[in-house]
Amino acid sequence: MKKWWSATGLVAASAMMLAGCSGTDGGNGSSGDGEGGKTTLTAWAWNVNVGALNDAMEMYQEENPNVEIQVEDLGRLDVYDKLSTGLAAGGVGLPDIVLVEDDRIGGYATAFPEGFVNLSDMGFDDNADLFPSFKQELAQVDGSYYAMPFDAGPGGMFYRRGLFEQAGVNADEIETWDDFLEAGKKIKEETGAFAMPLDKFKDDPTFRMMLNQLGTYYFDENGNIDLTSDEAVMAMEKLIEFEEAELIKEVDGWNGVVSATVDNSVAAIPFGAWYYGTIIDQAADSSGDWGVFLLPAFEEGGNRASNLGGSSWMIPAGGENEEAAYEFLEYFSTTPEVQLVAMQDYGLFPSLNSTYEEELFTSEDEFFGGQKIWELFANQMADVETPYYTEDYALGLDEAIKAQADAFNGMDPAEALKAAAERLAERTDREINN
Amino acid sequence: MRSKTLVPYMFVAPAVILFSIFMAYPIIYSFILSFQSGQGSNMEFTGLDNFARLFSDDIFITALKNTFILLIIQVPIMIFLALIIANLLNSALLKFKGVFRVSFFLPAVTSLVAYSIIFSIMLMNDGVVNQFITAIGLDSIPWLSDPFWAKASLIIAMTWRWVGYNMVIFLAGLQNIPDELYEAASMDGASKIRQFFSITIPNLKPVILFTVILSTIGTLQLFDEPFVLTKGGPSDATLTIGMYLYQTGFRFFDFGYASTIAYVIVILIAIMTFIQFKVTGDQE
Repeated sequence: MKKWWSATGLVAASAMMLAGCSGTDGGNGSSGDGEGGKTTLTAWAWNVNVGALNDAMEMYQEENPNVEIQVEDLGRLDVYDKLSTGLAAGGVGLPDIVLVEDDRIGGYATAFPEGFVNLSDMGFDDNADLFPSFKQELAQVDGSYYAMPFDAGPGGMFYRRGLFEQAGVNADEIETWDDFLEAGKKIKEETGAFAMPLDKFKDDPTFRMMLNQLGTYYFDENGNIDLTSDEAVMAMEKLIEFEEAELIKEVDGWNGVVSATVDNSVAAIPFGAWYYGTIIDQAADSSGDWGVFLLPAFEEGGNRASNLGGSSWMIPAGGENEEAAYEFLEYFSTTPEVQLVAMQDYGLFPSLNSTYEEELFTSEDEFFGGQKIWELFANQMADVETPYYTEDYALGLDEAIKAQADAFNGMDPAEALKAAAERLAERTDREINN
Repeated sequence: MRSKTLVPYMFVAPAVILFSIFMAYPIIYSFILSFQSGQGSNMEFTGLDNFARLFSDDIFITALKNTFILLIIQVPIMIFLALIIANLLNSALLKFKGVFRVSFFLPAVTSLVAYSIIFSIMLMNDGVVNQFITAIGLDSIPWLSDPFWAKASLIIAMTWRWVGYNMVIFLAGLQNIPDELYEAASMDGASKIRQFFSITIPNLKPVILFTVILSTIGTLQLFDEPFVLTKGGPSDATLTIGMYLYQTGFRFFDFGYASTIAYVIVILIAIMTFIQFKVTGDQE
């Protein structure tokens, strides 16, 4: 009999290994009370966010010595894959804290209504006014908070001073997309560098920034499909104008954008403020050659504020440490010192309004030729329009990328967007705005 | 005595337990799921709705078309190439047989994702392949961004990877064809090519059937290459059923519909295999 037990034990152990159980317990944040009554919070995050979380915990421990954190550094998509599978399995093996990008919050909270802690019930509403309105809206589902706002991605054109000077273009004079188009032509002629990089057939970040700038997105605030709006057509047509002038460098995914950034083959990269971290990290030898200007407007004096990306923290429901996780995250989200560390050390641009009053935000950045870039980013935050992602964002993205691919392969932009909107209506049962 | 009778069960227990947890249970559970619909945990029982939805789902039909185009073009090319190479490597005149066999077989043991990434780098707009093409004076080809060429790229990549694998199977089959047949044919004045079509292929028929079925199953489940090379693009031109299944489950959270797609793939594989048995005819 004894033998039999050891055999089953062996099987169970190998089953665990096969199931890919990581070192953490299978249960939902079941690490509970560790030694000497310590609470150990578990978290999933990726990239620089891991360091930010760990540093914040060190600051938190000065007041709360009985809490510690174990952050698993997973890839961004791995976090989503594990989160989706865990939620689909009824909340098995999830951490106490998970990082989720803003465009996915609604999707998760709607698809798994029981899956996350309702933060409004815990009293988060008192903190709401500390954040810009678009971040507030993105963290709520049906009027309740399900996420605590963390970083944002105020948009900008990261540009190469050297290439601009060589072509005799002054970045300060670029106010509209048409100005930028002319500048791009000059730069291409003088230096051979493209105006911007884009993964034309697999991703649409520039299109999304333009939509946000124009106050629209894949969906409007009523959840109707807005891909056929005049603004969306205008944005896509603008991209195609750049394409026809041969100013867009075709790149392959994220790595392609980074390569183009490093090898000086593009003059500007339209992205969120978080791209700062990548530039100083990957193109360290080009210090001083960089500058930023706001996204050009579509018309003289038009809106230039935009946002791309940004993320928030969510608490999966059913863990033993919900309370402790909430306390810590509230500290993390609403303490300016923590947000400053995240920004200074990790390049994560905070959305906590009070942070912008800190000295750092009026400082000059050496890497960017002494420009006050943080001020430029912070000043546009209040003007950023809310992008309505809805729970069908993933489908919207899928169809928008197809529309872009069709347009770049020669289809009329309006036609391509209309076809995409129709497919999206078919897939989501939503109405198309006319 | 009782403990004695337990012993064999203990030996098979690990396999049985693992099989039930990781194979049988998911198979049964996804069958149940395929009759439900909804996002994430908001599932409700919808009977055969998912199956009805499939037939009016343009994206599924596109994925189905793509998969079959790849199947109909890629599998015959690959099998034929593998046959020819197996024959050449089987010839008595060839030196360094081992080296050739290994180098043809190597692609089949490389990591799927690694080779797909290498191909995507080579096929980029300014990648090695286009540099070569422009160097010899032709126009560069939009390998991964044009609907037609994207499919062609997939076919090239898959063929590169799987030819060697099938070649090894054919080589084994060739050992079983008696030399007397070839000798007799030579006496009668049949050329090498004639021998290939009249002796080799008919004698290899069961082996060819086996490789065709294997390749069909593989292609119907095709995922890695389009996922890494083209993300199913441009505009769904290389979306395969396998990719659509993944997207539906893990990106759009519709696990019920994804399970339906999985079962449709199973049914398709069963039908295709049955047809292939019927067409080739001999039921030994």
